[in-house]
Amino acid sequence: MRIIKKLVLQLLLTMISIILISGLPGLIMNKDVSAYVDKIAAVSLEVLRLDKMIYFNQGSERLFLEDIWGPYFYSLSILFGALCIAFCSAQILTWGTLLLPIFIRRIIKNVLTFLESMPDLLVFALVQMGIVLIYKKTGLLVSNVAALGAESRIYLVPIACLMILPFVYFYKMMILMTEEEMSKQYVETSLAKGMRRLYVLVVHVTRNTSEGIFHFSKSVLWFMISNLLLVEIIFNIHGITHYMYHDFRPEMLAACLILLVIPFFLVYAAMEWIIMRFTVRGRTL
Amino acid sequence: MIRSYKFWIGFSMIFGLILSSLIFSVLFDSHVRQVQILYDDHMEMIGAAPFQPSLMFPMGTDALGYDIAMKVLQGAKYTLFSVILIGFLRVLVSFMFAIPLAIYMPEKIRGNLEQLLSAFYFVPLTIVSVFILTPVLWEQLRMPGWEEYFIFPYYARVGIEIFVLTILVVPLLGSMIGNIIASSLKEDFIKGALVLGASRWRIFSKHVMPHVWPKLVIVFFQQCVQVLIIFIHLGYFKLFFGGTDVDYNPLIPDPPVSTTNEWSGLIGDYYNLIHINPGIALGPIIMFGVAIYSFQLMAEGLLQYLDSRNVNVKRNKKKNKLSSVLQEKSVSIGKFEFTERVKSEVK
Repeated sequence: MRIIKKLVLQLLLTMISIILISGLPGLIMNKDVSAYVDKIAAVSLEVLRLDKMIYFNQGSERLFLEDIWGPYFYSLSILFGALCIAFCSAQILTWGTLLLPIFIRRIIKNVLTFLESMPDLLVFALVQMGIVLIYKKTGLLVSNVAALGAESRIYLVPIACLMILPFVYFYKMMILMTEEEMSKQYVETSLAKGMRRLYVLVVHVTRNTSEGIFHFSKSVLWFMISNLLLVEIIFNIHGITHYMYHDFRPEMLAACLILLVIPFFLVYAAMEWIIMRFTVRGRTL
Repeated sequence: MIRSYKFWIGFSMIFGLILSSLIFSVLFDSHVRQVQILYDDHMEMIGAAPFQPSLMFPMGTDALGYDIAMKVLQGAKYTLFSVILIGFLRVLVSFMFAIPLAIYMPEKIRGNLEQLLSAFYFVPLTIVSVFILTPVLWEQLRMPGWEEYFIFPYYARVGIEIFVLTILVVPLLGSMIGNIIASSLKEDFIKGALVLGASRWRIFSKHVMPHVWPKLVIVFFQQCVQVLIIFIHLGYFKLFFGGTDVDYNPLIPDPPVSTTNEWSGLIGDYYNLIHINPGIALGPIIMFGVAIYSFQLMAEGLLQYLDSRNVNVKRNKKKNKLSSVLQEKSVSIGKFEFTERVKSEVK
């Protein structure tokens, strides 16, 4: 019960902060606090009555909720897909890496620091150029480099673009945390008892690092939502940020961000509950 | 002295960039070379702008023949100084915010507050800052009279940009720094100092700060990286540091340009060239990568240095005191339980 109360409060605060932020451009433009308060009230009303909200599409008024679902789930599938692939592949590679000797691990870590500092725009540019280059050399079009219109949907390229940097972040963080965990005494004990290294790694160590990784993944997600905006504009994808960026009204920003946030919020709440339940920390509480 | 080659490599790269940019502006007045047509010895034309990257033009030239490497050099000081300034302000303001949070709040309230503040993880910074800064940085058009104008004067624009980029991360960063301070307040030597009658200020300045400030420096480097990434994003959306000069000429409008050649402006100007002249478009982005890598190296080098220093301290303590052994046992009770559980599972 306490968890649910906390969650509702947190969700409410997220929404309020999004609504408060959405009014800020108007405040800066007009330098008028009372107009800001009015705007905030109007935006909150709009968000509360989301089913009545209208927007302008090529000059005609349309209901917001009627049009948003397709692009919304499209964006979500890209984002979730990228997050899942990045996380899972990083986890599997981490297990593999931890079996390697220590000097190879040091090299891998240095390479990862280098990869980590690649700007995201550079990654997108390289993926774009790579696909074009492969097409020029072999005549094989791996995937469309841009979506044409609202109906065509591309998955491979945006997911690939979105997952590369989060994968590097996860991979490096997991190696660091797992190495720290491996130096603890219970690992030594279990190795001395003759348990296989891989078994200890997968079953015990991963369970203990999962909480830290989980908290870290929040900031990765934070970074990914920002990147989604860039990816959708660069590849001309008709997703949810299309509405956000092209409409540019406070109501629109607030509604889209809240829609985008809610599923992740629920997933994170569920994950937190599971981790609380199944780790040592949960047992001692 | 910080004994870490990584730190010094990163430091010298950033310092070198700023220094050479300053020298370029003081001695050469930041004059950017312009070459539109290239002739060989017999005065025959062998090429015209834009040039691809070559030995003569390390990063190529743009369509008007301006040397991009020189533009990058000219802009380095603005970008890097503003990044360092914003990073510093972020840490400073968050630290101010964190002190009362860590010292005067009871544990329970702080935990709840932190939970609430973590709601900010779901407010993506790029989208919000693009949204807030567009009216500030984008040049507007006043219709009667066809007059281009900014809503704010130059210094107000820079000030607002710095303020917005600083204040948006304070909730998250503040609660993180609050945690760092609170965890060092839980150490045993703090209790010892309290027993001996130290005042709050003395505990804070003499016992907490020596532990906290190296971590703050690392957080500062990480924040510099974050600011650089935000600058790249803003540059892609053509929101340049200090304002975007938009040409509203109805016939053949010039593309939006940055007035100071700072790097995010260069990204915004040249990114559209990615398919025609990739070498030209990638130059400024790669420079951003170099800057990010340098800050990462500094953070990592400092961290490694601090770790190795701590290990030495611990070793000395173990030699001298039995009490540290006792302490370790009490700390590791949690894991002890876990090894017990491992046993039972194996059976």
